[in-house]
Amino acid sequence: MIDIPKPDSSYSAIEVRQLCKEFGGLKAVDGISFELKRGEFLSVFGPNGAGKTTLIKVLTGLTRPSSGIAKVAGYQVEDGIPEMRRQIGVISHSPALYADLTPMENLVFFGKMYGLDHPQDSALAVLEDVGLAFRRNDRVRTFSRGMLQRLSIARAILHNPSILFLDEPFTGLDIHASNILKEHLQTLHNNKRTILMTTHDISCGLEMCDKVAVQVMGKFAFLKDIKDVDKENFEALYFDMVRNNQFTMAIRSH
Amino acid sequence: MNIFVSQIMAIVWKDFVTEFKTRELFSAMFIFALLVILIFIFSVNLSIVKASEVGPGILWVAFLFSGTLGLNRSFVLEKENGCLMGLILAPADRTTIYFGKLISNFVFLTAMELFILPLFMVFFNIDLLEHLLPLLLVIFLGTLGFCTLGTLLSSLSSNLKTREIMLPILLYPLLVPIVIGVVRMTGQILAGEPLSGMMNWIGLTASFDIIYIGVSIMTIDHILEE
Repeated sequence: MIDIPKPDSSYSAIEVRQLCKEFGGLKAVDGISFELKRGEFLSVFGPNGAGKTTLIKVLTGLTRPSSGIAKVAGYQVEDGIPEMRRQIGVISHSPALYADLTPMENLVFFGKMYGLDHPQDSALAVLEDVGLAFRRNDRVRTFSRGMLQRLSIARAILHNPSILFLDEPFTGLDIHASNILKEHLQTLHNNKRTILMTTHDISCGLEMCDKVAVQVMGKFAFLKDIKDVDKENFEALYFDMVRNNQFTMAIRSH
Repeated sequence: MNIFVSQIMAIVWKDFVTEFKTRELFSAMFIFALLVILIFIFSVNLSIVKASEVGPGILWVAFLFSGTLGLNRSFVLEKENGCLMGLILAPADRTTIYFGKLISNFVFLTAMELFILPLFMVFFNIDLLEHLLPLLLVIFLGTLGFCTLGTLLSSLSSNLKTREIMLPILLYPLLVPIVIGVVRMTGQILAGEPLSGMMNWIGLTASFDIIYIGVSIMTIDHILEE
């Protein structure tokens, strides 16, 4: 039997040290270090192509890091231990739901994949949580973008994970759907779940988080506790950081 | 039930429910196989050549070409809406994804073959019933080999833009030993020879089935990684 390494009792929810991910010489994640304690919420802002999605892919074990250390729920991400994946939920651009199945069928399927004892009951409970129980027997293909995103949350929290990764969850949502999603995220945060969210929505990201980071060209150009951030002037600061970093990198590459 | 087995069965259940609702895979494979057989009937003069000599090759060409359609669709369904990412994130060994898809592909293809056999029997005027059991064994071995390798390569080609072209280009050369084995065995069975006389072909086909399963288990982890 394979000896699965156990996390030590004092582990942080997410611990990253000098993490790098390269694609043929291009550093999508370049020496990022940070730590998130259990129950903390980190918002990561950054322009398109900054490497935010790659950071999430590395932390969720979808792709291997090129170098550095990434620990999630106390487990080394590289080890690909199923117990680590049991601790995390992921919401990304794509809903990861089968279009020809109903929400119930989708959630029961994922419940079985996560080895839940009563997948039917768990599926119904999370559908009620996200307000989609009344559409539980309709095909997912007929759902709007906002409903898909809520269903995506239901899939991500079905197995009651302690850590959530959200990759630009507000993309393509109207104001009403965005507000519903914000409420769900706030509830999840209040329930002491650790959350790492990448987003372009600055006001929304600042509103909910405990820590703020700005990722530009693979690096964290900014990482602070929310109490140390001037929220009023953050947007201007953010655009300055993005411009300056991109300018510096452009000069270096010449 | 063991979690590994229950995860595989969950994937098979999901594929069955999807197919039951859409009927895309089975109908496409069945109609394609039927058309291949019909084209050959009109292009081969059965008054000159013996049906039992050309029949096995035509039957397996129909099975393999239509099966390729099904394999192409198999992992494309998983890529839609990022479902494969959802599967990979589940606390399951990646071989469960492979075996789940393998069993689904095998069952769909075998079901299609069982529907094609009576039509083949009528069109080529060959009595398959007296050789049914050995023929089913050969079909089992051939379909298993095709699906073991095909499922692996369709998971690989599903990441490519030219997946419809790449799958047959990668698959058919590697299938040659299995195709030679099953076509020879089918021919001998239709000629009335007993199974005991073709143990070398059975051994060859079964060996390649096992080799391809082993290769798939060893490589699927890397293939499914982004």
